[in-house]
Amino acid sequence: MGLDQLPDILGDNIITTSLGKLVGWGRANSVWPAQFGLACCAIEMITIAGPRYDVGRFGSEAMRASPRQSDLMIVSGRVSQKMAPVLRQIYDQMPDPKWVISMGACASTGGVFNNYALVQGVDKLVPVDVYVPGCPPRPEDLINGLMILQERIKAQGLRLSL
Amino acid sequence: MKPPKNVLASGRTNGDDWIEVAPAQLPTILTELKARGFRSWSFMTCVDHLGTPLVVPPKERFELVYQLRNMETREQIRVRAFVPASDPVAPSVQEIFAPANWDERETWDLFGIRFEGHPDLRRILLPDEWVGHPLRRDHPVGGEPVEFSDDHQSWQTAPAEA
Amino acid sequence: MRTDTEPQGMAITRESDSAHLGGDIMTVNFGPHHPSTHGVLRLVVDLDGERVVGLKPHIGYLHTGIEKQMESLRYQQAVVATDRHDYLSPLFNNLAYALAVEKLMAIEVPPRAQALRVIMCELCRLSSHMVWLGTSGLELGAMSMLMYCFRDRDRVMDLNEEISGFRMHTSYIRPGGVMADATDNFWTLLERFCQDMPGNIDEYENVLTSNPIWRARTIGIGLLAPEDAIALGATGPMLRGSGVDWDLRKVAPYSGYEKYDFEVPLSDAGDCYGRYLVRVAEMRESLKIISQAARQIPGGPVNVDDRKLLSPPREELETSMEAVIHHFKIVTEGYSPPAGDAYAVVESPRGESGCYLVSDGTHKPRRAKFRSASFVNLQALEKMALGGMVADMIAIIGTADAVLGDVDR
Repeated sequence: MGLDQLPDILGDNIITTSLGKLVGWGRANSVWPAQFGLACCAIEMITIAGPRYDVGRFGSEAMRASPRQSDLMIVSGRVSQKMAPVLRQIYDQMPDPKWVISMGACASTGGVFNNYALVQGVDKLVPVDVYVPGCPPRPEDLINGLMILQERIKAQGLRLSL
Repeated sequence: MKPPKNVLASGRTNGDDWIEVAPAQLPTILTELKARGFRSWSFMTCVDHLGTPLVVPPKERFELVYQLRNMETREQIRVRAFVPASDPVAPSVQEIFAPANWDERETWDLFGIRFEGHPDLRRILLPDEWVGHPLRRDHPVGGEPVEFSDDHQSWQTAPAEA
Repeated sequence: MRTDTEPQGMAITRESDSAHLGGDIMTVNFGPHHPSTHGVLRLVVDLDGERVVGLKPHIGYLHTGIEKQMESLRYQQAVVATDRHDYLSPLFNNLAYALAVEKLMAIEVPPRAQALRVIMCELCRLSSHMVWLGTSGLELGAMSMLMYCFRDRDRVMDLNEEISGFRMHTSYIRPGGVMADATDNFWTLLERFCQDMPGNIDEYENVLTSNPIWRARTIGIGLLAPEDAIALGATGPMLRGSGVDWDLRKVAPYSGYEKYDFEVPLSDAGDCYGRYLVRVAEMRESLKIISQAARQIPGGPVNVDDRKLLSPPREELETSMEAVIHHFKIVTEGYSPPAGDAYAVVESPRGESGCYLVSDGTHKPRRAKFRSASFVNLQALEKMALGGMVADMIAIIGTADAVLGDVDR
C-alpha cells in the first residue's frame, strides 16, 4: 500500500480546516448561558429552555448557575442601581471568551422606565455583543439573537474577544 | 360604624370610608381598630401634596394613609394623618401591625418620613448610600433626557414649590 | 467594589449548639444572583452548621421606580407601566389599576368586558401557578415539572396572543373596558385548552403529590400558623394554606365574580405541601371559572361608551369632526378624573394585590401606590425558615412565591 493510494482509501473521512474555524465552530455550538434572569424577560428566557422553543438544539441547554462555568451572560430584565455592581461582579467572574446578550428593552436602553432607579442600558456596565429588543422579546427573538451571536463567534476564530 | 375617639374628620370618598387623625394618635387609633376586628393589613403609604393644583389644598404637605380591612364584617377603613414638611415625623405602628415594619422603611426610604419607635429604620429599596428621597415631588424623575419628547424639559427639572 | 453595609439590629447572640466542638455561627450570603431565589432576592443567613438561626432578606435589587414613573404618565399611558411590576400576573395589575381609575371616575364597564376580564385573569392565574410549579419543582429536583408546566403555559401565551397580540404584558385590561373583543379562533382555542388542561393538572399531580421525595421535602417544612399568617399580613395561598378562608374574590367580589360558582381551596397543614395542594386546587377552580364565564358571556360592547375616556373607533375619524377632536384630546392630554382617592384590590395568584390612586384633578396621577402581595408575604419568610435546615430554605422561598418585581416595584 503506497501513500498515493491513501486518498482512495480514506476518501471523505478526513476534513481539513483551519484551527480558528474549528475552535469557532466548537465555541459557537456550545454556548452556555449564565442564568442572569432579573425580571420579566427572565420568564421568556426560561421559556426558551422549555419544550416548545428548546434552546438545547443550539447547544445552550446547560444554563449554569455559576458564572465561572458559563460563557454567555443574557442580561434579561431591568438593571437597577443597586444591582449594577452585582452585575459587573458576575461579568468579571466569567472566564474569557465571554459574550453578553442584552435581552429586552430595559437591558438595552432602560426600556419603558426612564427614571432615577434604573441603569439606562446595561452597556453602561458591560460590553454588549447582541441587543435583542422587545418587551419582552418573543422566545424566537432571543433565539434569533443567539444565532446571530453564534455567527459572530464563528467569525471570531481563535481570538479571545470579538 | 361608630368612629373611634380622637377622630378629626371622617367621610366616604368613591365608596371608601376614611377617618382623619392627628399623627400622634395613630398608635391608639390603630390599636382600637385592630381590637374591633380590622386585622387585615392592606397597606400604608404617603402622598406628597407639594404643588397641588387643588383649590383647597390639604392641610399639610405629607399625608400618611393606612388601609385596613375587617376580617369579620369585610368592611374597609382608611386612616389618614397629615405630617408637616417642616417636621416629617410620625410614630411607628409596627408593634401593632407587623407588616408595617417594611412599609414604614419604604416610606422613610422614598419620602423621608421618620418613624419614631421603629427598631431598624433604614433604606430598603434603594442602595444604602443613596442621597435623597425620590418619591417626593421636588425630586425629579431622573433618567436620561429624551430629545423631541414633550416632557423633555420638565422631567429633569423639579416642579416649582407651591 | 461597593459592599452593602451590614444591617444594624441583626443580633447574632445565640450560642452555637456545636460550641463544645469549637463551632461558630456562620453568616452566608444568598444572592442576589442565585438560581433558586426566584429573582434578585438577597438573603443574609446565619447558620449554625446546617440550621438557620437568623435570616434577613435584603430587597431593592429590582427597584424600578414604577410609582414615580406613573406620576409622569397620563392615565391611559400608565396601563403599560402597571403590567411590569408583578410580571407573572400582569393582567391582575392591569385590573387593579383599571378598577381604581373606574372607581375614581365612577364608571362601570359593560358585562361582556367584565366576563372577558375574568376569563383573561383566570388564564393569567393558571400561567402564574404554572411558572411557580415548574420552578419550584425544578429547584427541588423535579426538572420534568419545568417542561410540563412551560409546555402548558405556552398554550396560555397563545391565547393571550390571539386576543391581544402579546404573549406577556398584554395591557389587555384598561380603564373603561378591555383592549379588544375576542376572536372566534380565541373561543376555539379556549375550548380546546379547557378540555386538555384538567388532564395536564392530573399529570402534574401524578409526578408530585404522592412522590415520596416531594413529600419529604415539603411536608412539615415552612410551618406558618394561621394566627401568625394573619398577624404577618400574609394573603393568598400563604394564608389559605394555613386554613384561613380569605379570598378577595369571595370577600369583596369585583368584575362579576359573584356570578360564578367556584370553591376556595384551603389546607390546614400550614406547610409547603399544604400550599402546594392549595395552588394546584386553585388551578382546577380557575378552569371551572373560565368554562362558566365562556358559556355565560353576554353580548354587547367591550368598552364603556364614553368618548372622553376612550378614543372613538378609527372608522369614525373619517366622517365625524367630533370624533377627531375627542381622539386628539385623549391622545395629547388624556382624561382627568375628579380629585380624590380610590383603592381597588384584586385576588392575584400571590394574594391581595391592589392599586391606590390619588388624583388631584389633572391628567396625571398624583400618587399611584401598588399594594404588593409579595412585599408583605416575604416578611413571613423569617418566621417560616428559622430553626429549619438551609436546604429547606429553598423549598420555603419557593412556597412564598414572591415575585421580586412586585416586592421592589
